[in-house]
Amino acid sequence: MNRRFLIAVLLLWSLGPLMWQIYTSLSSDQALTQPFALADHRWTLVHYRNVLTSNPPFWRYLLNSLIVGISSTFLCLLLALPAAYALNRISTRLAIFSRLALVGAALFPYVLLFLGLLELARTFNLGNQLLALSLPYAALSQPLAILLLNSAFHDLPPELEDAAKLEGLSLFQRFRWILIPLISPATASTAILVFLFSWNEYPIALTWISDSSKLTLPVAMARIAGSSIYSVPYGAYAAATVLGSIPLVLLVLIFQKPIVSGLTSGAVKG
Amino acid sequence: MIALLLVPALLLLVIVFVGPLFRYAWLSFHADSVITGLIAVPNGGANWLRLVQDQRYWQDLFQTLRFAGVSVGLELVLALLIALLLDQRWRGRDVVRTLALIPWALPTTVMALGWRWIFNTPYGPIDHLTKSIGIGSLNILGDPNLTWMATVWADVWKTTPFAALILLAGLQTIPGDLYEAVRLEGGNAMICLQRITLPLLRPYILLALLFRLAQAFGVFDLIQVLTGGGPASSTESIALYAYWNALRFLDFGYSATIIMASFILISFICVLAWIALQFIIPTHSKSQGVVEP
Amino acid sequence: MSRNAFLRRLLGSIFAVFICSALFGLAQAKTIESVSILMAAPFADATQDLVQQFNNEHHGEIKLNVIRGPLETEAMSDLAISSLLLGKAPFDALLMDVTWLPKYAAAGWMEPLENYFQQGDVESLAKGAREGNSYNGHLYRWPLTSDMGLLYYRTDLMDQPPETPEELVLVSQSLQQNQKVNWGYVWQGRQYEGLSCVYLEMIDGFGGDWLETRSNQIGLNSTPGIEAAAWLQALIDQGVSPKAVTNYAEPEALQSFKVGDAAFMRNWPYAWAELQKKDSAVKGNVGITTMVAKPGHSTATLGSWGLTVLRGSSHIDASIEAIRFLTSDSAQKQLFQKYGYTPTKRSVIEDPELLEEFPILSEFGKALEVVKPRPQTPLYAQVSDVLQRQLSSILTGEKTAQIGMDVAASNTDQILISAGDRQ
Repeated sequence: MNRRFLIAVLLLWSLGPLMWQIYTSLSSDQALTQPFALADHRWTLVHYRNVLTSNPPFWRYLLNSLIVGISSTFLCLLLALPAAYALNRISTRLAIFSRLALVGAALFPYVLLFLGLLELARTFNLGNQLLALSLPYAALSQPLAILLLNSAFHDLPPELEDAAKLEGLSLFQRFRWILIPLISPATASTAILVFLFSWNEYPIALTWISDSSKLTLPVAMARIAGSSIYSVPYGAYAAATVLGSIPLVLLVLIFQKPIVSGLTSGAVKG
Repeated sequence: MIALLLVPALLLLVIVFVGPLFRYAWLSFHADSVITGLIAVPNGGANWLRLVQDQRYWQDLFQTLRFAGVSVGLELVLALLIALLLDQRWRGRDVVRTLALIPWALPTTVMALGWRWIFNTPYGPIDHLTKSIGIGSLNILGDPNLTWMATVWADVWKTTPFAALILLAGLQTIPGDLYEAVRLEGGNAMICLQRITLPLLRPYILLALLFRLAQAFGVFDLIQVLTGGGPASSTESIALYAYWNALRFLDFGYSATIIMASFILISFICVLAWIALQFIIPTHSKSQGVVEP
Repeated sequence: MSRNAFLRRLLGSIFAVFICSALFGLAQAKTIESVSILMAAPFADATQDLVQQFNNEHHGEIKLNVIRGPLETEAMSDLAISSLLLGKAPFDALLMDVTWLPKYAAAGWMEPLENYFQQGDVESLAKGAREGNSYNGHLYRWPLTSDMGLLYYRTDLMDQPPETPEELVLVSQSLQQNQKVNWGYVWQGRQYEGLSCVYLEMIDGFGGDWLETRSNQIGLNSTPGIEAAAWLQALIDQGVSPKAVTNYAEPEALQSFKVGDAAFMRNWPYAWAELQKKDSAVKGNVGITTMVAKPGHSTATLGSWGLTVLRGSSHIDASIEAIRFLTSDSAQKQLFQKYGYTPTKRSVIEDPELLEEFPILSEFGKALEVVKPRPQTPLYAQVSDVLQRQLSSILTGEKTAQIGMDVAASNTDQILISAGDRQ
């Protein structure tokens, strides 16, 4: 089959829905009811204005997601790097078992954990606190992070570390000066994947955060989705969708290399 | 000594993954609802007895299985096609690969709102399409027989790039000369696919299959925002039902029971899928009739 | 006076003035209490003018702010619950549907209101409006508007509306035979909460009780319970109601009655105004009465919205002020005149001016006398879901009334046991 045609179909299918949202978000309410008819007064920015000036303002949700994303990624790496290193140095049987357990945990549909995590939030008063959310997020991304980083550590030639040990570097120094810099591509991949995960996460954020000013992006969108009284509110919805998508599209475009290599190597080792 | 480095991560993992599962198992034998003041009181197997008779649960289970099965099936086929397309080297391939990854990166709830509009009757583009090719207006989001298909479509759209990337990784580990050998023998693309690609790709297909199956079984975000479980509960998933039992009906004990039962079922289904795949796609050595080096 | 002493005095006075003005400012700030009430969008819009009036009257003391919740009422409850489960709700009061009250009250989220609304206040409410506001002996909710299920009938096709189920069927059939209408009776038969409302009127009409919450006695598969289900099913079997009624909610039933297709309709008070519009084929030919039943058992399902105060709010007194204002006689008059919300106060329902402008108000008042709330249990949502499912399969002919109601009863029993409501 003609390759160009297939590529075009792929792009149309992948990007079409988003394009339609952009198109809708710029259409006036009147034009929305006749999407394919050409009418005057069709283009407008009023939907964006409505979304950006709502209470709380839209950028607040992006900020919240950013805070949670950064803290989750940081916490995740903090825990996963040592664990990934140690995984190579324990007995083989234990290591194999651990890796299998980690793969199982990575496949697990974490939405089922919402109830237990809700009880944790209620017991320890972790609700409505953005930084507290990084605890479950870091935990849920541990399996993938440990597996990715572990295979990166595994690929390092052991002589490098042996030489450093001979020079008298402590474990922490070895980490700081040799090991971590050497696996920085894998760390970058892991970081961006964890970051993406926490931006996308919905059920835990839904149950842990109820204050409208503290909502992360996915929860805010869901709330917006449930709240209109207009019969055709989709102009505003589309504007919200576009605004919510922009950060992630940018992330993918800028960090495409680490993302792809992270997923790829994850697949190969998994 | 070094093993101590594992402790923090292990602790967090146990608290977040293992803890809830044990808690659910324990809680499912207790009444823990607004009636008991959200305090667990033992009630024997009453929750499980209720689950067995609960028509809503069995309907949701069927709907979830239908969703997961059709969605994952479609995804794997499409992902393979996309991976095959991206495996070759052509100008702009990396750009296309990145653009094709965008659906996967968008939060489900963000795009679900968009899908509501796309499938909207009478103003959405899909409705216009069906009207223009003569099927007429389908009311996709309002017809209990059709709405689940819209959810499948939205899910396939979002998760296919991920599966495609996994399969692509696998394709790139296949040495080109294997194909050469088949072509020299006079084989065409189909034979290549059957004898080389699929068998060597099997571990990757397995990974994508298990991962997607487990995730699809727990579908929650998409259903809650796109359809709210409707119309007439026709798209309600078991995750959504468990969620509502806790957060709407304030019945934590029963919610835990639903989750526990679903967890057992998912594990069972994944094992079945694993076994099935062994039969559907033979290993490379078997397909060649040669012993693997 | 020495310079030091003078400076000290000066500083002292400045300090004193500073303290005084700070205290004064503090006192001022303290008295502007802000009260926020969460309401579903339609109510938030309808009460906008009232809120404005209240804020003008209480300028400098109380600032009332209505938080506009989602249009879908279930989503609004979800919003409230997710905040309450995590500990603190961002609002002081909540406009609540009658069926949610037991759940919220049992969870301990509501402030009891007996100390704020005395016996005199309670007696100023119409008898039916006093239902559904209490749980476990405490008053939790002060009603804003009342809603009840009504039987609409065509005054041009009959002199008197039927009073018993058998009469309704006979009248319908004769009208259908004489080609006066296509269908006899349209009602809400879809599998949703509306079906539970329909059923409640019928089981009570046949002398039974869905769920007696004090003793947890289930009446679904008692004789009246089965009779009620069988009667509804027979309506479809005998052709008195169209098969499509199993998919009808309020709008569909209203539409059918509005274009003149049916002789009887079950619906809420809002439908009256719709039927008097210009595009209604039955304008001027509509009467209202309470649902048919065995003699003395006529019932109207209660649906009403009322204001509750959250426990732990720091503005309870101010919230009560706001609630009193929003439910005052003049407020109720305004809400009825502009938006058709049925009043709850006896004085408003019997107001001669209003009755002159809207004579139908007297029918609403009569129906309000025989309202019955749905079972007031915190497990209502689950119990209703189970009933809806079984009723739906009975109505579509998949099960007989006996079997369906037996299943409904045993499922209901299982729910009560599993949630700890029964040993």
